Amino acid sequence: MAQQANHPLPSGHQLEEYTIDRQLSLGGFSIVYLARDPEGTQVAIKEYLPNSLALRAKGDIKPIISEDHLGPFRYGMKCFFEEGRALARLSHPNVIRVLNFFRANETVYMVMEYEHGRTLQEFIHKHQGHVSERFIRGVFTRMLNGLREVHSHKLLHLDLKPSNIYLRGDNSPVLIDFGAARQTLASDQPMLKPMYTPGFASPEHYGERKNLGPWSDIYSVGASMYACLAGSAPQAADERLKKDTLTPAMVRWEGQFSDRLLEIIDWCLNLNHLYRPQSVFALQKALVADVHPPHIRQPGNWLGRFVGKFRSSPR
Amino acid sequence: MRFTIYQDSRQGGRNNNEDRTTYCYSRDALLMVVADGMGGHHHGEIAAQIAVQTLASAFQHEARPHLDDPFRFLQRGMTNAHHAILDYTARHRLPDSPRTTCVACIIQDNVAYWAHAGDSRLFLIRAGRVIAQTKDHSRIRLLLEEGLITEAQAERHPDRNKIYSCLGSPSAPEIDFSRKTPLEHGDIILLCSDGLWGVMPGEKIALVLPGNNLLQAAPLLMNQAEARGGLHGDNLSVVAVHWEDNYVEALSSAISTQTMPVDEVTTKLEEFGRNPSYKSDLSDDEIEAAIEEIRAAIDKFNPKK
Repeated sequence: MAQQANHPLPSGHQLEEYTIDRQLSLGGFSIVYLARDPEGTQVAIKEYLPNSLALRAKGDIKPIISEDHLGPFRYGMKCFFEEGRALARLSHPNVIRVLNFFRANETVYMVMEYEHGRTLQEFIHKHQGHVSERFIRGVFTRMLNGLREVHSHKLLHLDLKPSNIYLRGDNSPVLIDFGAARQTLASDQPMLKPMYTPGFASPEHYGERKNLGPWSDIYSVGASMYACLAGSAPQAADERLKKDTLTPAMVRWEGQFSDRLLEIIDWCLNLNHLYRPQSVFALQKALVADVHPPHIRQPGNWLGRFVGKFRSSPR
Repeated sequence: MRFTIYQDSRQGGRNNNEDRTTYCYSRDALLMVVADGMGGHHHGEIAAQIAVQTLASAFQHEARPHLDDPFRFLQRGMTNAHHAILDYTARHRLPDSPRTTCVACIIQDNVAYWAHAGDSRLFLIRAGRVIAQTKDHSRIRLLLEEGLITEAQAERHPDRNKIYSCLGSPSAPEIDFSRKTPLEHGDIILLCSDGLWGVMPGEKIALVLPGNNLLQAAPLLMNQAEARGGLHGDNLSVVAVHWEDNYVEALSSAISTQTMPVDEVTTKLEEFGRNPSYKSDLSDDEIEAAIEEIRAAIDKFNPKK
């Protein structure tokens, strides 16, 4: 009787020219599969299948969509198209590539490149509190290359977080899951409601959406860097607006990472969007400039730290 | 909604009680949860407490008085509880995360929805018989299903307490969902930890809960189970509801104004030109056009294909 809400396509199932291998992940709106194309190359296939609107019973291929769910189902499909449209126009080593898009089984599928790796979220989880500054600078500088490309196409990602930053085997980052991406920079049509993740979503996500801009993604970048150091997400922006209990990175990790990095994190996490870096380029410039190795100071006693502060400040 | 509900959690023969239960209801929806903190991992009771609290507070926020989507509520609630436990682990620098099983059930519009991870169970009892129950996430159940061991062997099997899905473990929990299950007048839904079902098979429970006097029968059931558990018996917990509405009646489109405030008027009037279904209509042609557009963009911008 009990069962997973939606059953994945069976292993070995032939979907157009692709052979399904296994389910990679299951979300509320889609299932992602690992599959092979005719040449045997591994690809990831995302299937639009919102849990609440379409049901696929065990052993079935086509999901059942009831008459009164068809409207909302198609409406959600629009969002899935948005994601496809957004990604198809981007071709960048740090942004996931869409290889194909097709309709089958009464729903739609998006084929994307697949490489072995893990998400930054998994990485943080594994290295709780022991993520090095070099790693952070390396990953984020390159990830920002991808984000710049996104912004230059008048797109916002709007759901940036460690679990949407995928690390290939060589730790080069790839931006994935553009399910929330919207053409907000250009479009005159009413915007679809953006999705968000507490802790990583900017204050603009919650309030006046007309204020959404590159700086909103930049808030999420800051939150993701903060999460690298803290091991968990920072306080959610809507909570911060009520009562800000977020300890600034500069206070929390003083001496353990370079002042510059900590400043940048706090800069990105400004609640007022006007006080954040206004473009990815500005942020990147700050991140690569001044690559002093972090001062490894002896934790020592309070006097030692005090003196150390004096010594390092007049640069 | 009309129902009778009972919950109880007992320590059994253990030193502490790592089970937690809760139920909450709004005008239109009822939530019931049983979580069994896992022994062998530290602070099982903390994980169980986080699980029931997370679900209860989400219910308080979202059931106003109706839940938009009970399955999504359960999925989100249990996933959030899982992450809350991991956050707690990180915050307190615990060497190992506390873990808990969880079974949760929503009843809304006389339809039951449930989800579980681990080996805490839900039984749906109709007319003295178990007509539905959850399947434990345990190796034993898999072995039983494949016919590799018998019921009798299962009861003594050394791995009978091992489960492969729970909230709080470093790997994501596997959560099973029920179907939408319409309820009839007199149905009993019972959620319990393994301390109860381990000593009282579902069929026995179905026989001893005669229904119309749940509030007397359920404590007796617990007494009996606790006695059977003996000196070293496990914690045992139960949340049980006796449902006193009928799905079929509720389905009729009759409107009851009995409970409406005297100064309130209900008006149903479509807003001018703002019919949301009109806006979201997407014809087959439009779908084809969108796919064509995306494919063209792929060919244009990713010429490697």
